Amino acid sequence: MDVFLQIFFDGLVMGAFYSLIALGYTMVYGIIKLLNFAHGDFYMLGAFIGYALLSFITGDGGLNAGLLGIGAVFIITMIIVGLAGIGVERIAYRPLLTAPRLSILITAIGVSLSLEYASMIGWGASYKVYPIKLSKNGLEIIGAQISFAQIGLIVLSALLMLGLRLFIEKTIYGKAMRAIALDQSACSLMGINVYRIISLTFFIGAFLAAGAGIMSGVYYGTINFMMGFIIGLKAFTAAVLGGIGNITGAMIGGLVLGLVESYGTYYLGGSWKDVLAFGILILFLVFKPTGILGAKEMERM
Amino acid sequence: MKSLLKLTNVNSYYGKIRALNNLSLEINEGEIVALLGSNGAGKSTTLKTISGLVKPKSGEIEWNGQSLVGVPPHKIVESGIIHVPEGRRIFGGLTITENLELGAFTFRKNKKWVREGIERSFDLFPRLKERAKQPAGTLSGGEQQMLAISRGLMGDPKLLMLDEPSMGLAPIIVQEIMRIIKEINKQGTTILLIEQNAKAALRLANRGYLIEIGNIIMHDTADVLRMDDKIIKAYLGA
Repeated sequence: MDVFLQIFFDGLVMGAFYSLIALGYTMVYGIIKLLNFAHGDFYMLGAFIGYALLSFITGDGGLNAGLLGIGAVFIITMIIVGLAGIGVERIAYRPLLTAPRLSILITAIGVSLSLEYASMIGWGASYKVYPIKLSKNGLEIIGAQISFAQIGLIVLSALLMLGLRLFIEKTIYGKAMRAIALDQSACSLMGINVYRIISLTFFIGAFLAAGAGIMSGVYYGTINFMMGFIIGLKAFTAAVLGGIGNITGAMIGGLVLGLVESYGTYYLGGSWKDVLAFGILILFLVFKPTGILGAKEMERM
Repeated sequence: MKSLLKLTNVNSYYGKIRALNNLSLEINEGEIVALLGSNGAGKSTTLKTISGLVKPKSGEIEWNGQSLVGVPPHKIVESGIIHVPEGRRIFGGLTITENLELGAFTFRKNKKWVREGIERSFDLFPRLKERAKQPAGTLSGGEQQMLAISRGLMGDPKLLMLDEPSMGLAPIIVQEIMRIIKEINKQGTTILLIEQNAKAALRLANRGYLIEIGNIIMHDTADVLRMDDKIIKAYLGA
């Protein structure tokens, strides 16, 4: 039981990261029907910009940055990466919005490579060690060790997702996003500047991915310029799992994927982790392509 | 009467196909103007060109003395022209209230306007009120049309353009919609109306334009058009 619970919490943290990234995938897909394969790189960018800012405030000697400083870095990083998301949409995707879908998909792969190698040039190809480390302190629940850090990350992710939910449900911009996913030209007849809402969607997607990026840097301790690649594919898997275009689906899909990976790693061995994730993707694509929240209940973004 | 909207020699294309051919028309403040014509004549394209969804290749569109050519659709909405498109185009996955809120998107900062606008819509169409929290996709055709019109009114139009509001609706619902259009006009909104149902349209309108292959071939007051042989033969039935 103790091991089972332990793995559950490890999986939950992993799953929270997947969910946060999958949300951006699913929102962008919902609104412009683009699988933004560069999305995982916003996670990487978040980790690196967070790394740079944290190194700056902690200084070389390892000055202890207060909780306030770390919080500020979190928010500033997420905003910077959010703006990068807007920039990518403006430069790379907007000119192609009316082009065939394949052109924009290939562009997405190009954007992904550009971001990866630009950050390699900027920060180098080697692994970087994160300037702050989380304490291992925690509490014991029926024999399982749960660190405060894990709980913190899970709570923080949950708050971000809750915030997004409220934004999409309650604000006029969230409603405009859902409406654009349904009928773009009808939206412009309501006086909605469709391009601006698309920009906003990219901002939010990149913002959340960047949050996951710093959190994972702090949690795992090391980062690398290719870290967004595989996790981007995993987040895509999570989005498909939940039903692509569906916000709640992306959250559920991410958590399910995190848990499956974490239990699979324990019971089958670490080398099976990716096999499990993509095996699930294939199974879903074959047997239930609409994802866990089937097409009927789908409240499309 | 003050001229509100004036199209002069407008040409619009879909790719290489010319949909509007030197089209000119004028709408005065306070009028109901009917745009008549058969399928594919260019009626909807005329509205889309005015609302900015289709950019004219040449010609001038003048609104309150200002050119609308090249202005993006959302700016045109802000200037007071609202286009209720063919087929209603309501947001089926959103609730009725949400649809109305989006209709007032240009007034999003003015919470009071939005709230009062929703109440006005519910007064105009009590049936919408009963279903305020339901997804709009669950409404019947007539109710969807009512929602589409209310949603258009939420943006406070000076000119409301309605594209076939009676399409596919039962005669009794058509009557109600026509009555409401008259009512909206009485309260000061100018109306440009496209109708297959020429009889109903000419009963309602002050003036009418007859469009054929992207060109206006006849225009006059509604009373004259109702008596015209050509119109009677082609659109009003014997």
